Amino acid sequence: MKTLLSGLLMAALAMAWVGSASAGLSGKLIIFHAGSLSVPMERMERAFEAAHPGVDVLREAGGSTKMARLISEVGKPADIMASADYKVIDNNLIPKHAGWNIRFATNQLVLAYTDKSRYADEINPENWYEILQRKDVVWGHSDPNLDPCGYRSLMVLQLAERYYGVEGLYEDLLANRPERNVRPKSVELVNLLKTGNMDYAWEYLSVAVQHGLDYVKLDDHINLGNYAYDAMYEQAEVEVTGKKPGTFITKKGKSCTYGVTMTRDAANPEAAVRFLEYMLDTEGGLKILDELGQPPFVPARVPSQEAYDALPGSLQPLVEIRE
Amino acid sequence: MKPHRDRLFFSLLFLASLPLVLLVVFPLAQMLTQPGWAELWASIRDPQVVRALARSLGTALAAALLCILFGTPLAYLLARKSFPGKRAVEGIVDLPIMIPHPVIGIAVLSVAGRHHPVGRALQEIGVQVMGTYTGIVTVLTFVGLPFFVNTVKAGFEAVPTRLEKASRSLGAGMGATFMRVTLPLTWPQIVLGTIMCTARAISEFGAVVIVAYHPMTAPVLIYERFTAYGLRYSQPICFWLIAVSFLLFVGMRLVSRFQRVGA
Repeated sequence: MKTLLSGLLMAALAMAWVGSASAGLSGKLIIFHAGSLSVPMERMERAFEAAHPGVDVLREAGGSTKMARLISEVGKPADIMASADYKVIDNNLIPKHAGWNIRFATNQLVLAYTDKSRYADEINPENWYEILQRKDVVWGHSDPNLDPCGYRSLMVLQLAERYYGVEGLYEDLLANRPERNVRPKSVELVNLLKTGNMDYAWEYLSVAVQHGLDYVKLDDHINLGNYAYDAMYEQAEVEVTGKKPGTFITKKGKSCTYGVTMTRDAANPEAAVRFLEYMLDTEGGLKILDELGQPPFVPARVPSQEAYDALPGSLQPLVEIRE
Repeated sequence: MKPHRDRLFFSLLFLASLPLVLLVVFPLAQMLTQPGWAELWASIRDPQVVRALARSLGTALAAALLCILFGTPLAYLLARKSFPGKRAVEGIVDLPIMIPHPVIGIAVLSVAGRHHPVGRALQEIGVQVMGTYTGIVTVLTFVGLPFFVNTVKAGFEAVPTRLEKASRSLGAGMGATFMRVTLPLTWPQIVLGTIMCTARAISEFGAVVIVAYHPMTAPVLIYERFTAYGLRYSQPICFWLIAVSFLLFVGMRLVSRFQRVGA
């Protein structure tokens, strides 16, 4: 009798919890995210909307810096911002527009191509830099001033010069890449590859995996994918435009680390926190990221105790403190 | 009593017209008045800005020229001749208005790539589309042509056929009649069509940015500045683009009026 009662009680509690979970959430949930997160975010959106039919997830993808500026300068409303470079959140949104920044996944740079690209049957991790110098090969990368993937592509080239020990390799490679091969976003380059306007493009591994491209996977010493090599990556430096025309700042190489935050003026914080709970769950968003070529941190990370304390309570169990 | 009622009617019309006019004026006035003189001066001395403005003007006018060359015969054909498939051709001419701009860019690029026979042929003879003026002018012509062809077609339709018949009965051939009777009478519509086509082309962003990010036209530069530096540094370029376009169009109108008075 007692077990039956407690069983009933448990069931009632569970139903109340489920009820509150779905009944309590409604309205729009606006997510800004890096272009390179489009495919996993779309899957997460579908799964989340299926679980919470009252919520309408609206996603907007773009260069991370641009999306952050849309929040900080234009005042465009967004509940969640997920950046391909977690530093973008630190630099543009914290402290005024957001209070914390969770690192949740990694990526790395690869040289993407299709089977119709020139010399596709020859290219490999040893000779790619020689092929990119051939006059009839068209290759490109995204704009270093607008897209982290852009300056990271240049960093890979610099690191390659050191790693392979070829003097002047960086300049020699860039000499074979006219300015017209630089595009605003790395994802755009995929279409250029697929239509045969371009032979090779620097992409994140995730983008190459998700778009079914062939790719050359580079050594961990130069691919910006393994934070154990951060000291090495730091030796690569790229100048990008600063806060106003004519000014520049220097970007130093570091591993590709995704960051996510919720804005302070989130219009729908309940739904935003619930979405983040799902996104940072090993069986939820993190699993999707893993399948799509964006190896997640399991669990997700914040760098300090203060950062941990600033998190919404329900996210804390999903996050560890790790520098 | 009656004049009073009329006045009421016109007051209502006036009130009802106001929202649309304000919708255009309000944000644009905000945009034009926001940058200070110092910022405007600094941006017009920025060679990148001047080059982008010149590029926008040049490519838009080149697109308009192509429309004049190939659109005028098409407009005349559509205005005067009936032939099987005419409706379809008219639909095709209107199509660029409806297609989302990025789709136009993607479509042009997919034909220009090496995976397409046309792209292969073009590349063989050394014609590059991605990231070149060829590409920019191609998409600008694409988006501008309906405005030219439809305006000029209406112009040709307004020329009474009896004038053409009279000309021919006096011994002029089809070609001479077209050049000496029809074309001069349609001149205002050709100027108007050119203005609309150029205006449409100058403002195009979505299709251009896909075909060519570099070299940058003014709208692409505005986008790049906005993305890289924020609103403050893109607004002065918007001001100059609007100012330059405005001057261009006022100038074209003046020329056309002068020409008509002269003729």
